[in-house]
Amino acid sequence: MDDAMPDNKNAAIDIRDLRVDYGEFLAVNDVTLQVPQGEVFGLVGPNGAGKTSTFRVLATLMEPTYGEVKLAGVDIQEHQEQARRLIGYMPDLAPVPSDLKVWEFLDMFAESHGIQSAKARRARVDECLEQVQMLDARGKFCKELSRGQTQRVVLAKTLLHNPKVLILDEPASGMDPLSRRQLRLVLRQLASEGATVIVSSHILGELAEMCTSLCVMNGGRLLASGTVDEVRRELGRQERVLGVVVRERVDEAAVWLGARSFIKEVTISERRLAFHFEGDEADQASLLKELLSEGFEVLAYEEQKSSFEDILVKIAEGGR
Amino acid sequence: MNWLANPIFRRYCRSRLRPNGLIAWLLVTLVLTGFTFFLARLSAMHRGGVLSVDAERMAIFPLMVIQGIILFFLGTGQVAGGITGEADEGVLDYQRLSPLTPVQKMLGYLFGLPVREWLLFFSTMPFSLWCFVQGKVPFAAWGSVYLIFISSAILYHLTGLTAGLVIRNKRWAFLSSMAMILLLYTVMPQVAKMGLLFFDYLTIWPVLDENLPSMLPRVTGEVVRVVQLFSKKVSLFNLQFSELVFTLFCQGGMLLALGTMVCRRWRRAESHLLGKSGAALLFVWLQTFLLGNALPLIKEGDVFPSKSFAFVLRNNKTYEPDFSEGLFVIIAYGVVTMVLLLALVYMITPAADVQLRGIRRAKKLGLPRVPIATDAASAWMWAMAMLSAGAVAWYLFAERILASDWFPDHTLPWYGLLAFWVVLLNAVMIFHAIVEGWGNRAIFLFGLFVGVVPLLLSFVVGVVADGWLTTSVWLGSLSPWSGAVLAPPVVIPGAELPSSVARAVPRAFYFCQCIMLIVNGVLWIKLRQKLQQRSAIAT
Repeated sequence: MDDAMPDNKNAAIDIRDLRVDYGEFLAVNDVTLQVPQGEVFGLVGPNGAGKTSTFRVLATLMEPTYGEVKLAGVDIQEHQEQARRLIGYMPDLAPVPSDLKVWEFLDMFAESHGIQSAKARRARVDECLEQVQMLDARGKFCKELSRGQTQRVVLAKTLLHNPKVLILDEPASGMDPLSRRQLRLVLRQLASEGATVIVSSHILGELAEMCTSLCVMNGGRLLASGTVDEVRRELGRQERVLGVVVRERVDEAAVWLGARSFIKEVTISERRLAFHFEGDEADQASLLKELLSEGFEVLAYEEQKSSFEDILVKIAEGGR
Repeated sequence: MNWLANPIFRRYCRSRLRPNGLIAWLLVTLVLTGFTFFLARLSAMHRGGVLSVDAERMAIFPLMVIQGIILFFLGTGQVAGGITGEADEGVLDYQRLSPLTPVQKMLGYLFGLPVREWLLFFSTMPFSLWCFVQGKVPFAAWGSVYLIFISSAILYHLTGLTAGLVIRNKRWAFLSSMAMILLLYTVMPQVAKMGLLFFDYLTIWPVLDENLPSMLPRVTGEVVRVVQLFSKKVSLFNLQFSELVFTLFCQGGMLLALGTMVCRRWRRAESHLLGKSGAALLFVWLQTFLLGNALPLIKEGDVFPSKSFAFVLRNNKTYEPDFSEGLFVIIAYGVVTMVLLLALVYMITPAADVQLRGIRRAKKLGLPRVPIATDAASAWMWAMAMLSAGAVAWYLFAERILASDWFPDHTLPWYGLLAFWVVLLNAVMIFHAIVEGWGNRAIFLFGLFVGVVPLLLSFVVGVVADGWLTTSVWLGSLSPWSGAVLAPPVVIPGAELPSSVARAVPRAFYFCQCIMLIVNGVLWIKLRQKLQQRSAIAT
């Protein structure tokens, strides 16, 4: 998989041979990955896959065992301070200081990032709060916010200095559907303006909608990467499930299919039969021919795509 | 420097100076300070029949106690607890990522977290200023005392900040920083009486003592001034300093060391507090100060605690310290050296996972071994270098004591150096091997059952009956940390031990030190094997 990654010198995120260990536990295993500028890139995987470790290394919060990471061409280990100016990092379950008001929290970071004038800071803080639709809450104490509101405020903080690389660990957790939609729009807008976003989520359907490309990680390794469809194809090719809709003789068709050695787990739902099929596309075509020759009136015959959730559950269970 | 331009400082100005909390604290402080101020002055004026100028001075020290509680105790606790709280909430990572320099971040927290305490402190200053002006206290006197008061507060706050970055529990961080200050003001002055003055200069006592005559009521002040005529300026080898300059010098050095620790933690949360070369440098610096302060005190006998009693009892001219006192200060120097070594070696010894990571990185980079100055490298070479330096310093101190006019009948033979070195080798290298090879839990258990329990048992057995003293000595010498106490009486010829233990002490000392040398060797081999295992795992 790693060899297949293009050697993109203009990659906004360029990770090579990244390894992270916690004692004898290997969290990230020689990961190589490039994300071009302007992408919204998703990192998917079950708990313990190595996503958060990868993100913490990218955010310069953790020193890897070894490996090279460049963000917008800046080596994050050699030029840590410079790299930090490029990064907008939002951790999982993003915390906020309980003793500050929303605007005070953002104002502090706006100033840290060099916005000196109070007027300019106020304008920038309001702009970012507006972007995440939290302007109404600017005078509230952070401790009064709900989980979703907190996520949005931290996202606004992440956007303050117009980072070139946004690293968002589970940004949508706790957000209501409207906020999630807003998050999608914000990320797309940022990407269209040239920022590169790398985002992880457990809401996989959400990630599929949000990202232009993604990769799947498990056991510290990258399993697949590409567009959403490419990844689904790559990981789902062993999971071919066919569906047949017959006009009548449904039970008879189920028995006939069940008798085939290359067909397993036939299920019936009204006139629809679904079953696991082992074979390639030619085998799939001959099965249709046989069904027709047996006199079954086939109304529909199709390959059912495995859902992302199904794929990931199987990856997690199978330890692939 | 524009403090308000520091975003972290400003953040705490906002959160800790909100009127709700601040007004309540301010009211309590002002009521308490006002009460103390008026009570001390007016009672002296109207009940004590003291002259006005002297009565004004009566309130100076009670006010200073209140200021000390605010700034030293509450301020330090707030810094330690506040930074731990930020780490606990998770917001500290945001600050790590902000593009401020580590020094800016350190200063922001150092002055921001206790900003309310600073304000409360300054709110009490008008009362003190009234006392100084009306009491005609010279500016040079109260100015230098308050300069050191403030530099001490900053030092303690920085210690609290360091503790807060190391200790994960907010309450423990708060309590340990309180304990540190209590220790500094109660135990350390006793250590200073044995010539180890350095620790005293981390407090406000020396400068306060120096300026006491000007700040006390005049008659009392004059008495103190006469007493002070007999005291000397502080020396570092042949150099003489005023108390103010030397205190600033000592505190400045500690501020630099602690600042380095905090900045390292800002750069990488998992960094050791000090690098290996930094720890070695700090040890040499501390030893230079300990030795530099103590050696000039030997000639006049000021290194011996009984000298101050002799002065009080007015037998100063016929003063002569007992040899046991000489032995005692030599032991004290050895114990302090050992404690410093254990603390610094613990600081630079890598945990197993850090070491494993370093080995993997070195292999990946094609290096033959982990670079020796990095956190992941084994600390044994550095521990050896530091303990050797410590043994030399200890030997020099002991040799100078015995070569002085006080003890013409005693000398320290050359093998004293070897004995001191072996004692430190056994105490420090066994400790190091266990920490590096088996981790914190193992060293805790070892420290408890091998280091402390034999010592406690030895005390208990020793008080049962004189007949048990021999057993007590043997039990105590089982602890690797008892060597610093047993070595001086054993290696100094003519050291008269009580007859009941005169035979047991050298025998127990030599026997146990030999056993410990063997244990040390075994542990060293085991540690090598551990490192080889880690190297194998890394591939």
